[in-house]
Amino acid sequence: MLLLLQAQPSDWALFFGRFHPLIVHLPIGFLLIAGILEIGRRLGKLQLSNGTMSAILFWSAVSATISCLFGYLLSLGGGYDADILEEHKWQGIGVAVFAWIAWGASSNFLLKRAPLSSVLYVPALALSVGALMVAGHHGGALTHGSDYLTQYTPEPFRSMAGLPPRAVGATFTAKPITDVNQAMVYEQIVNPILQTRCVQCHNAEKSKGDLRMDTPEKLTKGGEGGPIFVAGKSTESEMIKRCLLDESDEHHMPPKGKTPLTDEQITLLTWWIDQGAPFNKKVADLAVTDRVKPALAALGNGKAVANAEAAGKAVPASGPAPLSPVLTMNVPAADPKVIDELKRTGLLVLPLSKENNQLEVSAVNVRTFSDAQATLLVKLSDQIVWLKLGDTQITDAAINSIVKLKNLQKLHLERTQITDAGLKKLTGLTYLEYLNLYGTAITDAGLASLSDLKALRNVYVWQTKVTESGIAALKKVLPNVEIVGGTSENSMAMRTGR
Amino acid sequence: MNKLANELQQAALRRETRRHFLQTCSTGLGAMALGSFMGGCNPFGSTDKTAGAAQAGAEAVAASMDPRLSQFAPKAKRVIYIHMAGSPSQLELFDYKPELQKYNGKDCPQELLTGKKFAFIRGVPKMLGSTANFRQHGQSGAWISDYMPHLQTVADELTFIKSMHTDQFNHAPAQLLMHTGSARLGRPSIGSWVTYGLGSENDNLPGFIVLASGGKQPDAGKSVWGSGFLPTVYQGVQCRTDGDPVLYVSDPNGMSRDIRRQTIEAINQINEAEYQEAKDPEILTRISQYEMAFKMQASVPDAMAISGEPQYILDAYGVDPNKGSFARNCLLARRLAERGVRFIQLFDWGWDTHGTSKDTSVDIGLQEKCRQSDQAVAALINDLKQRGMLDDTLVVWGGEFGRTPMQENRDGQTQAFHGRDHHLDAFTVFMAGGGMKRGLTYGETDPIGYYAVKDKVHIHDLQATILHQMGFDHTKLTYHFQGRPFRLTDVAGKVVKGILA
Repeated sequence: MLLLLQAQPSDWALFFGRFHPLIVHLPIGFLLIAGILEIGRRLGKLQLSNGTMSAILFWSAVSATISCLFGYLLSLGGGYDADILEEHKWQGIGVAVFAWIAWGASSNFLLKRAPLSSVLYVPALALSVGALMVAGHHGGALTHGSDYLTQYTPEPFRSMAGLPPRAVGATFTAKPITDVNQAMVYEQIVNPILQTRCVQCHNAEKSKGDLRMDTPEKLTKGGEGGPIFVAGKSTESEMIKRCLLDESDEHHMPPKGKTPLTDEQITLLTWWIDQGAPFNKKVADLAVTDRVKPALAALGNGKAVANAEAAGKAVPASGPAPLSPVLTMNVPAADPKVIDELKRTGLLVLPLSKENNQLEVSAVNVRTFSDAQATLLVKLSDQIVWLKLGDTQITDAAINSIVKLKNLQKLHLERTQITDAGLKKLTGLTYLEYLNLYGTAITDAGLASLSDLKALRNVYVWQTKVTESGIAALKKVLPNVEIVGGTSENSMAMRTGR
Repeated sequence: MNKLANELQQAALRRETRRHFLQTCSTGLGAMALGSFMGGCNPFGSTDKTAGAAQAGAEAVAASMDPRLSQFAPKAKRVIYIHMAGSPSQLELFDYKPELQKYNGKDCPQELLTGKKFAFIRGVPKMLGSTANFRQHGQSGAWISDYMPHLQTVADELTFIKSMHTDQFNHAPAQLLMHTGSARLGRPSIGSWVTYGLGSENDNLPGFIVLASGGKQPDAGKSVWGSGFLPTVYQGVQCRTDGDPVLYVSDPNGMSRDIRRQTIEAINQINEAEYQEAKDPEILTRISQYEMAFKMQASVPDAMAISGEPQYILDAYGVDPNKGSFARNCLLARRLAERGVRFIQLFDWGWDTHGTSKDTSVDIGLQEKCRQSDQAVAALINDLKQRGMLDDTLVVWGGEFGRTPMQENRDGQTQAFHGRDHHLDAFTVFMAGGGMKRGLTYGETDPIGYYAVKDKVHIHDLQATILHQMGFDHTKLTYHFQGRPFRLTDVAGKVVKGILA
């Protein structure tokens, strides 16, 4: 066998090796049927010729031999517990050898030449079937883990068998999190994710890719391809990259068929790595980025997450950011009559998507939209999350209606008659992230009154009277907000050399 | 005009014969078949209530451009796709390869040539180091060569994919693959898929508008904005960039708006009568196109009137208001985006830098193309940003393939100018806005820029990602045609999650 001589397992070796779990069921079936038939024959219940038994045993022996070969090829791929593997190997070889002996003893060919060989028949068959049972069990232990079979043993048999009491849900339990800020990041957040999603295949007994993820030391060590994470750099960490691949990709982890990590879990792991992958730090010791906040908050039964000293630092992360809570919350469907009423004014009224009741309302087709019509919007105060009233006739009076749209995430008021007086009324919009005010008459005073809108991320003040110092002042209060002032006419002229 | 319609009705009645009865029977069967055909006409599968909309007649097509829903909340509401037709050299612009410089002028190693096919390279070509000077820019440290001084200033807004690769090394098939997901003719373009899925926000403008510059149409012709087997109402509408944007868009002397309205109503009545008889959905498209053309008479001149733009904006883009140009198209793209056009496709021809002449050399010719376009692209990104539009407008910039790290040797001859052949194993595309991670460089090529080696992104992956940002699962935006559902990404494509913000 040329294949066996190669130092590195070739694709061919692994290709055939993977057939081991399939082909192995043939000798199981053949040998068991041989055993059952033989018992039937001995008890006089069955009429069977020696030739039939001999044929069954011949194929048992052939398939057992092939199974042994394929099993060996599979083991070249590595990742199995060496002790169990060694036992399994010899038990498997035992099955094949005894099957051959049983066949030899049953065939007329041998009986004619060595009459005594018939004595070997029954013991060989019995040993072969026996070895089959043990080898089968160890094979299962190699694939599924040694506690797989008995993991769900119910009481009272559990204590009778001397098994330790079973942990609820899984064999692993983490200390429950009471206060997220005091939670140990690795022990209570990261490790539980690894335990439920990764450790099944990356543990002491079964270490796929020569990787174990069950202890901090092994996790840091990595697998056959080297370390699986680079502390501080999630974008270069194999462990995160694998999770972000398309699920149909052969390198995706967990592999096809296993439960993938949720977005929140990936966000948490990414954050942990970006923070230097510490093993003995609390949440409060690390910088809590905006991106990870919702995921952390979900762990701590909704308790607010405090920002550590280092917060606000831009941290590169590898996955898409989670959606704003306002886009994922459940809101009741809007009344179709109200939607029709709004549409009659010329507004576009559209759910954000098929799966959302949240609405986007846009005046892109109706530049004449006015304060009076804006009062209609209040009827959809639960649903409207994106509102585009840019380039319309509205004035500060419309703000009275707009502030009632408590779920607004994006608000376009550019190129309207809105002034500072209007902005002063723009409070209480807890989800407002995007506010477009370009081309309005607002000044620094109006901008300053936005400081209550804690969720703000983007504010556009191009072509307004807002100054650099006004922008700086708001940034001091809301450090996460990006205020785009745009280019002034002068600076643009300078840049183009005019 | 009503008189004309009445006359037609009379003529139709006179035509009715026994033979006609049989004919109607067969079109009745046809209509049933059509019902199932139109059943495929909605992006969300046949469970949707709009299925079988054919019976609703002309209204159905009018409604086909109604704004519709994404499958999930979108990050981008519109796309400005800037296609540099001919394909710019990534090795002169973004893919900085100091290692390649060391091999400049040396023979290309045989292992890079074995089993490879090139459009023009024959025998053993020489390696060609970059003719440009590179520096890192912005906080993100993106490599942008000095060919693009303006783009350098917006480096932190950009998301580079340096590991693009494609399957086609000739312009037309590669452009088709880029825009329709297939190298052969007949598939709908990405803009058509988007308008088919989302309709148009603006009542008075098409949802998909195309602007071309550079003096030549793209090699693959109008198919790159065609609607393929989708109803033709979803195809891109090309506007001229010089003179009247749409020919004869303005009414001639003596033709009032009212007469025009009545004319179109009469024509539509006739077409509707014909539709009732023939049940050809293309007649519905025709009706809606007349309607759209009438609306566009008012809306297009308004959208295209850059005379309303202040001088400093014209200067920022580098637009000469009296001349059609790529810069002018960039400015128009912003104006169309402001008006709610979903998909704006810019083609600029002249990036095919083979080095067969001064104009097509990767040093002199390419620098000239950059000079004509660099300022406008940077201005577009700045302008979208200051208007708060970059948030939900996805800008994509790229060619249909890359260019070789070897000097082209057309017909085995040494060429007088520096030039590079078509290359499918590596090229660079950049994006901005629309929910992309800003200031990111994704993917890598090998040290000489021959193969994309890390985080490879295929054309279908890019398409899947664009659709994803528009709120679509690319595997579920399908259209039933010739017995099976079709989609933009055919049977491939993975969303590049690593570049999403």
